[in-house]
This record gives sequence, structure tokens and C-alpha cells, in this order.
Amino acid sequence: MRRTLGQSLSLYGGLLLIALVIGLPFWWVLTGSIKLPKEIIQRVPTMVPQSFTLQHFEKLLQASDFPVYLLNSMVVALFSTAFTVLLALPAAYAFFRMEFPGRNALYKTILLAYAFPGVVVLIPLYGLFAKVGLIDSPVALVIVNVAFALPFSIWMMRSFLSSVPREIEEAAVVDGAPTLTILVRILMPLIAPGIASVAIFAFISSWTEYLFASVLIVSDARRTIPVGFAGIIGQYQIDWGLLLAGATAAIIPVVILFALVGRWFVSGLTDGAVK
Amino acid sequence: MKNTTLAIAFVSPALIFLLAVLGWPLVQAAILSFQDVGVIGSEGHFIGLGNYATILGGAGFWQALGRSIVWVLSNAVVQTILALATALVLNQKFPGVRIARTWIILTWIVPTVVVVIIWRWLLSSSGGIINPLLIQAGAIDRPVGFFATRESAMATLIMINSWRWFPFTTLMMLAGLTRIPGDLYEAARVDGAGTFQRFKRITWPLLQPTLMVLGVVGTLLSFNVFDVIWLLTAGGPAGATQTLPVLIYETAFKGYRLSQAATISVLTTILLMGFAFFATRAMAAAEADR
Amino acid sequence: MAGLSLQKVKKRFGETEVIGGVDLDVADGEFVVFVGPSGCGKSTLLRMIAGLEKTSEGRILIGGRDVTDEDPAKRGIAMVFQTYALYPHMTVATNMGFPLEMAKRPKEEIDRKVAEAAKILHLEAYLHRKPRELSGGQRQRVAIGRAIVRQPGVFLFDEPLSNLDAELRMQMRIEIARLHQQLGTTMVYVTHDQVEAMTLASRIVVLRAGRIEQVGEPLDLYENPDNSFVAGFIGSPRVNFVDATVTAVEDGRALVAAPEAGLAGMAVSTRGTPPKPGTPVSLGIRPEHFVPADGAAGTLSGTISLVERLGGVAYAHAVLADGSMITVESRDAHNFEVGKTQVFGLQRAFLFSADGMRL
Repeated sequence: MRRTLGQSLSLYGGLLLIALVIGLPFWWVLTGSIKLPKEIIQRVPTMVPQSFTLQHFEKLLQASDFPVYLLNSMVVALFSTAFTVLLALPAAYAFFRMEFPGRNALYKTILLAYAFPGVVVLIPLYGLFAKVGLIDSPVALVIVNVAFALPFSIWMMRSFLSSVPREIEEAAVVDGAPTLTILVRILMPLIAPGIASVAIFAFISSWTEYLFASVLIVSDARRTIPVGFAGIIGQYQIDWGLLLAGATAAIIPVVILFALVGRWFVSGLTDGAVK
Repeated sequence: MKNTTLAIAFVSPALIFLLAVLGWPLVQAAILSFQDVGVIGSEGHFIGLGNYATILGGAGFWQALGRSIVWVLSNAVVQTILALATALVLNQKFPGVRIARTWIILTWIVPTVVVVIIWRWLLSSSGGIINPLLIQAGAIDRPVGFFATRESAMATLIMINSWRWFPFTTLMMLAGLTRIPGDLYEAARVDGAGTFQRFKRITWPLLQPTLMVLGVVGTLLSFNVFDVIWLLTAGGPAGATQTLPVLIYETAFKGYRLSQAATISVLTTILLMGFAFFATRAMAAAEADR
Repeated sequence: MAGLSLQKVKKRFGETEVIGGVDLDVADGEFVVFVGPSGCGKSTLLRMIAGLEKTSEGRILIGGRDVTDEDPAKRGIAMVFQTYALYPHMTVATNMGFPLEMAKRPKEEIDRKVAEAAKILHLEAYLHRKPRELSGGQRQRVAIGRAIVRQPGVFLFDEPLSNLDAELRMQMRIEIARLHQQLGTTMVYVTHDQVEAMTLASRIVVLRAGRIEQVGEPLDLYENPDNSFVAGFIGSPRVNFVDATVTAVEDGRALVAAPEAGLAGMAVSTRGTPPKPGTPVSLGIRPEHFVPADGAAGTLSGTISLVERLGGVAYAHAVLADGSMITVESRDAHNFEVGKTQVFGLQRAFLFSADGMRL
């Protein structure tokens, strides 16, 4: 179908606008991180960097706690991802492929948990973690992150599970495969994109989590990136070069992850999303 | 031939986990709201509905609720407009459409703190790009502090939060749009409907279920937003951006009135669950009407 | 190889009974086809035999062994699904070998049996492909191959051809018939297509609303239906029904008339004692039962509203005087002319009571 000139203009104009709205802020941060301090605070900012330096990154890696934050964030995010997938997969299978009493009511309750304000349970959770000595421990963050990622993850698996025809499972039953074998040999390969989506979602949730990390972690050496950065922002004299380098460095891991499996994630997010 | 025991074995780990980490604390919050605990770790006594009387009798809760409502509604309007326009563009065929649909969500996958850094930087009066741009456009004649006045702080926060969330909304809308059969548009073309007519008579009505779901989910999600607000304004200036989540946090961790914070939490939870309940009921009713 | 026996088999979903007490014996090596309109329970019954649905009441015996509560895999059956249900991520060879692999058979045996099945089904060239690289007919053959390698006592087919286009369906139909000849294994086959039923079955089971209406050889069902439902379901185009009344009984035959439809009186044989005069009945006349009016046992007159000429035969759709529609088959298409009122001769007809039972 051919487009008229007007339609082409609105399409490509629209695309350009979207790209600018989303891309430009990132562009300024990325380029800002390699500008000399003088250029950074210039009264009229430059679109294309006029200077080049890696001093902010050097400072970030050598003089700041950023490497520690990065490591902490990585550890927490990876464990959160692993446990979310481990818990979500069998639960989703039971919810969407099996029959048991109270299934629907339970499923709805779990969905409700997704829309649950984190700050509401923050106070009592702090008390509970204090009792078992988990304050200032990454374990506490993993527990919280898994709990908040789990409801949405289970829900996200739905569209992937329903894309596998029941007859395939029935064929496997007739062929003599036990339930666990069906899960591992038949279902898991077929819903691999769904598992990847859940993993990305859990990773990103954990990677960006601020509220709990800010309260449950006390010592500087255990901070994750969001809390660590928030500390830098809060300082009286803001070192923009350092912050922009830090922001750039914090974006990179999710961008890499997303470049690898982002397509699956987006389809996981949307396929069964609306309905 | 599905085995109930196995099903329960599959569900229970997730279920027990959620009960322990979300359910039990909620009960604890409720218990806490009937006591007079101040600083975390201190002992409290049962004081009945005292906290509820204090909270509901004072102005703080109602003002925060009002700000939360403004926050939710403004976010809904701004995001819906941005997302619908974006979704309509991305719903067309063009080279690179897959890439565009994937990377649109970039603002949503980076840490909130990065979003905060980005916008503080762009809005900053030394080195930020927005002020010079506005001056050049003639909108202002000298740099302004976007978080300095009550109204501009709220408006700026809403714009920033919408920037972070509208791509997510866009993807949900795209899912709804792709669900509308292409045949309908072709049939409408054959029937002589123009671009606007097709939007008005096909896209808009068939997108209603999607918009309703988004309305409910979006309301709950934006209501819960805490970190963007906290990191950018901490509820200021002078409490102008103190929504309910911010109020709870401040009461508990800055004001050291734990029980009162728990009380507000309980009230907030009741409010949200009530909203979710009635909204899903209304949605089911609308579904039945169709 | 094994026979199959259903004894008072019932299935309930909650309060609703979908299979209401089915008794059926299938001899070893038979090809039995379940037919019926959608929702008649034919697929449910097959799935109960497979063990994919629980049996609420009654017993199912395969090869003389009670398998009512047995796992599907241990029943000695193999099943071919409507959507093929191939494992999309496995090659053709792995798909076909999967049941043997599950039974922990040695690899040489699996390879050998897969090769044998592939040979029977002409799939040798495709063993290393994935299902999505195959055509619909090839996929169906792989599904059949997966069933063959198990060497089951009973093959179960659940509408296996309904996802194929008309030409492939005919080819595969022939192939399944050939397979049955070659293997000689008991087969139970579900379809809603009466052509498949007529051509494949050694016996047809007609189901309606979870009950067996009639069991018999295809031609027997066609020529001697037990009730109006079976008469209506078997045969294409459908049998015509004309309301009539018994006017007299002569020589053990009922004399039937339908004055409003133009039928003066026709002698019809009945199975038992003919009904009393005055009994309202229904005449079942197959389109091919019509003959030239001269010397016919009875006649109907109607106005032709539409003629379908298929080449070999032609069908006339005519409206009788009482307003009912009939379809008339003729080898000679020139007989029919739209708008013309014509007299159609009747040679034979089935007689049904008002509640549809054969008289």
C-alpha cells in the first residue's frame, strides 16, 4: 500500500519526534560524560562534544565507590532473577495448566499483589528483617525484589504457556512422559522466550530498585547503584562529570542485556498483557 | 489427568513466599496501626483507634491524598496522550519497526536514579540544556528553577514520570492495536472512510478494553511511584509534591512516628484495594455490555 | 494387537453428563469410526479411551485388560491428534522416537523402529527436519509415525484430517486405509465427516448427545438406519423427510399418504408390524431414491426452485405443495427446469414414527 506524501510526513515526522524525546536526554548524558568539566557547565550547552576526556570514568572507577555498588547491584540482581524464575515457572504452570481448588481466587490475589505499594510493607518488613538479623544484608534485598517481581512474572508467563497447544502436552502424556519430563523436555524449550522475559523483568526490577535498598542497607560498602548514586546526588557540591559517567555506566548493563533478549521481553510484556 | 497434589506443590513455594514477604507484613502493619510505636525497634502499647483519629482528623493525610489524586490523574492524561500518539506511529509498517518497538522502552529499563540524574542535569541552571533552549525560544528570559515553586515542581515531576512511563503504556496500547484485525481497516477503506473516520469509528472503540485495563493498572502503578519524587524533590517544596507514599516514608523514617505511618499505610491499602475491586467490577460489567 | 471393550461408560463434567452409558465391543483388527455432529461426545469418548479424560463410571477394557484407571502411556494405545501435536523443537526422528525414549528403550531399537516407520510413511528424507519445515500432510504422517513406533494395541485418531485441504484429505484417507490393511491393528477414528466414516470404517458408531444411536457396517447404516437421526446423518445430500399418515395396512405393508405434499398413497415395507391406520409418520426418502414417475410406487409433485448440476449427477431442490423442501438426484440433468412443477416418482422410502424411530 502506497502512502500519500502527508502520511509519509506524519509517519517519519512522528518517528523523529519520538526518537528525539527519548534519545536526546540520553545523548546529553552520554556525551556529557566525556566532556571536560569546563564544557559541562558551559552556559550554552554543546550538542556535539567539543572536548574529550575519560577523567570522569577514571574517577568513577578509581576514586569512587562505584565499582563496589556495581558489584553489589549485580549480585543482588542475579540472585533475584534466579529465584524469581525458579518460583514463577512452576507456579505459572500450575495456574495456567493445571486444575486445583481455589485456583482462580489465588491467581487474582497474586495479581493484586503486583499493584501493591511497596512502601506499605516497608515498615513492618524492616522490623521483621531486624529480628532475623538481615538488616544491611543483600539477602534482604533479594527477598524483597523476588517478592515484588513474582506476581507480574507469573502473569507474564501466561501468554507464553497458552501459546503451547494443550494437545502437545497430551501427546507427551500418551507417549509416556512423566510431568517433570514434560516440563523440562517439552515445555521449557517452547517457552524459553517467556523465561527470558521473566528473567529480564526480574533483573531490571532489581537493578532499578531504590526504596528498599535505601532503607534496608545501612553501610556504604553494601549499597547498590541506585542508593549509591542517590548519595552522590544529595551532596552539596554536585560533581556532574562523575554523575554523568556513573549514569552512563549504570545504563550499559541493562542496554547490553536488552540488546541480547529485548525483543522477547517486549513481546512477553505485551502479548498476553492486555486481556 | 492433572494431579492436584502436584499443582499445589508447584504453587506453594511462590505462594508461601508472597504470604511471608507481602501478606504477613501487611498484617503487621495493621497491628502496628493500633499501637503507639515511634522509632523503629521501640515497644508500643495498644491505643485502639487513636492513630486513625489523629490521621483522619489532621490535614496532612487529606492533603497528601489530594496530591496523589492530582498526580495519578495528570500522569494518566499526559501518558495516555503521549502513548496513544506514539503507538499509532509505531503501529505502522516502516523499516526498523521491530527495533523501534523494542528500544522505545529504554526510559523504563534504566534505573530510576539514572532518570533522576538525567533530568536534574537537563534542568539544572548551570550546564542544563532546557533553560537555554527555553530562553532561545523566548519562553523565559532568565534561567528558572523548575523545582522551586509549588506548581512547577509538581508539573515537572509529572512530566519526568510520564517520560519514564509512557513507553511502557505505548507498548500496552500497541498490543491492543495489533489485536484489531487489519481486515476491518480495509473494509472501512472500501466503505470510503478516511484516516480520521477510521480512527474514530474503528481504532478508538476497539481500543477501549485496552484503555480500561491500562487505566486501572496505570492508576495503581503511578499511585505507588515513590523514588522519582523522593529523589527529585523529597516531597518539597514545602510539601507540594508530598504524595501518600512520600508521606508514609517521611512519617516513618524522618518523623519517627512508625505507628502513624502504618496507619496511613493501612488506609492507603484499603483505598487502593477498594479502587481495584470496583474498577475490575466496572470493567467486567462493561465487558458484559459489549 | 488388541480388542477394545466399553462397558456402561459414563462421563460427567460437574452436573452435566456428556457420555451417558456407552456399551461397545471392538474386535481385534477392526476399524471403528465414531461419527456425530459437533458436541455429540465423540472426541470425549476417544479421549476417555486414551485416558486423557477420566471415566466417571463404567469400565474400559483394552486387550481384555481393565485400563479404566490406568495412565494413558500404559494402556497400549497410541493417539494421533487433530493438530498433529508434534514437538516443534524436535526433529522428525526425535519426535517419532520420543515414546520409545520415554519407555527407556535402547538407542539401536529406537533408531531401527523409527527407520521402519519412516519407510512405511515415506518420511525417510525428512528425518532431520523440524516439523515447521514440513507440509501439513507430512506433519500428519509424522504424527502417525510417532504412533506406529509404539506398536500399540489400538490406534486412536482424533479428527486427524480436518486441518488438511480437500485434496490432501483424500490422499491421507487412502493412506490411512492402506496403513490399516498393512498393520492390521485395531483403529478407533473420530470424525464429523461422513465420507471419511463411510470409506474407512469396517464399522461406524453414530453418536448423538453422548449416546450411541446405531452401530453397524457403513452400507448397513446407509441402507437400514435405525432412526431418523442416523438416516439424516449418513448420506449426502441429506435424506428428505416428508410428513405423512398411514391410511391402511395391506399385505403386511403400510399404505402411506401425504395429500398436501402430493403423495396419494404408497406401500412401504416396515420392520415389524405396520402401524395402525391414522398414525402420523415421517417418510425418509434419499435423493437417489427418486425414479421416473411412470410405474413408480408413489409420486410427489413439487416446483423446482434451484438446480445444481455437478456433471455426473444433478440435484433439483423443489418445494412441495405443503411448503417443505426436497432434494432430488437425477443422472439426467435435462429433466430439471427451474420454475417447473414436476412429478417425482418414488420407489422406496424409510418409515419413521413421529419420535424418529424406524418402523
